[in-house]
Amino acid sequence: MDGDLEKATALLQDIQAKCQDSTNHVNDLCKRAVAWEFNTSKGISFLEVKYQMLLSYLVNLTYLMLRKAGGQSIHGDETVLRLVEIRTVLEKMRPIDQKLKYQVDKVVRLAATGGAASDDPMRFKANPDSLESKLASDSEEGSDSEDDDDQSSKLYKPPKLAAVHYDGDETVLEKKQKQVESQRKRALSSAILQDLKEQYHDGPTEIREAKDMHRLKATKMMMEKERYEEDNFMRLPMSKKERQNQKQLAGMSSLNSVTYFGSFNPLDLEEGGGEGFSNKRRKMDKSKGKSKKGGKKKGFKKKRRH
Amino acid sequence: MSEGTATIRTRKFMTNRLLCRKQMVVDVLHPGKATLQKTEIREKLARMYKTTPDLIFCFGFRTQFGGGKSTGFALVYDTLDYAKKFEPKFRLARQGLYEKPVRPGRKQRKEKKNRVKKVRGTKKASVGNPKKAAA
Repeated sequence: MDGDLEKATALLQDIQAKCQDSTNHVNDLCKRAVAWEFNTSKGISFLEVKYQMLLSYLVNLTYLMLRKAGGQSIHGDETVLRLVEIRTVLEKMRPIDQKLKYQVDKVVRLAATGGAASDDPMRFKANPDSLESKLASDSEEGSDSEDDDDQSSKLYKPPKLAAVHYDGDETVLEKKQKQVESQRKRALSSAILQDLKEQYHDGPTEIREAKDMHRLKATKMMMEKERYEEDNFMRLPMSKKERQNQKQLAGMSSLNSVTYFGSFNPLDLEEGGGEGFSNKRRKMDKSKGKSKKGGKKKGFKKKRRH
Repeated sequence: MSEGTATIRTRKFMTNRLLCRKQMVVDVLHPGKATLQKTEIREKLARMYKTTPDLIFCFGFRTQFGGGKSTGFALVYDTLDYAKKFEPKFRLARQGLYEKPVRPGRKQRKEKKNRVKKVRGTKKASVGNPKKAAA
């Protein structure tokens, strides 16, 4: 009990001393403020609002503390409402403050250093003058000379260099990997896998019409034939001429690479794609034996060897 | 994918009540492999439609250019009796449900006809092949 009493008296004396100090300090500031030392008219008005709000908040808070210290209740006091209002405003100001942070920092730095440094990255902004076309000035100067010059300067000259992908930095390994990747991508997007994807896809099926300009008629006839065959559950016989036409369509004009639907080796995870298939012809599976679209006589299989 | 089993999809499915069968267009996806045998396709379809494979008749399989996909037709009958009644003989023969009656060659038939022409009445039946026996 005695110890507590001693502590209490010490604290009270402490409070008294500190109060004295703070009143002195505040009086000093007031004198200086009255003497217009702190002129904020040229400052950022947003910040002025902020500290005025803070000030009024403090004032209201001290009033409440005073009343409480005097033993009076603060229930239903207007001061509380005022405090709440000021608090809300301050909360709303916080995100704006964050957004302004960069600007404020810049201004402060400017004020502190007294001027921008020479290697300040802020100085490297775009120079709109240099974006102006020089041709206009040229043609104006050359108007005295012959007409040919004038016309030639207006003539569009394409650049002599075309941009090409630079692959000198790629190692052989990287090239191989890229090749494997592209093969995998091609295998994944092959027609067969697209069919499978469509089968398990929940959404509606898309039917895209790809019109090959060179074979419009042939394609149309083929589509008609397919439709007829499927509707009537039969296979139409092909005459020799038709067979030869189809051979021609599918053979010469569509090169090997186009009709090579590929093995699915790139998708094999264990093998890792194997060696790169640089020469597709070489890798064409002989045992597969390419069969023609339709037009196949029973028991007669023509195997293409490449 | 190259070691997986082939996938079968059916399109344009129709139940033909008049002929007591179901008919459909069959798409077989078999990347990296040769075209499936008809027997295998029949077995797969039997599993799909919960029947025995001998009620299924498939035909007309054509592989698309480049391989990997083939399209054909399939008929699934209700009973074997109806199958035997409605299915053309050559398709039944493919599955072994019909044996073509072996008959003498064309030339023999024509010669017999000419011999029969010469005789009148009930003697036609007993023409046989006397000339052959004689020769």
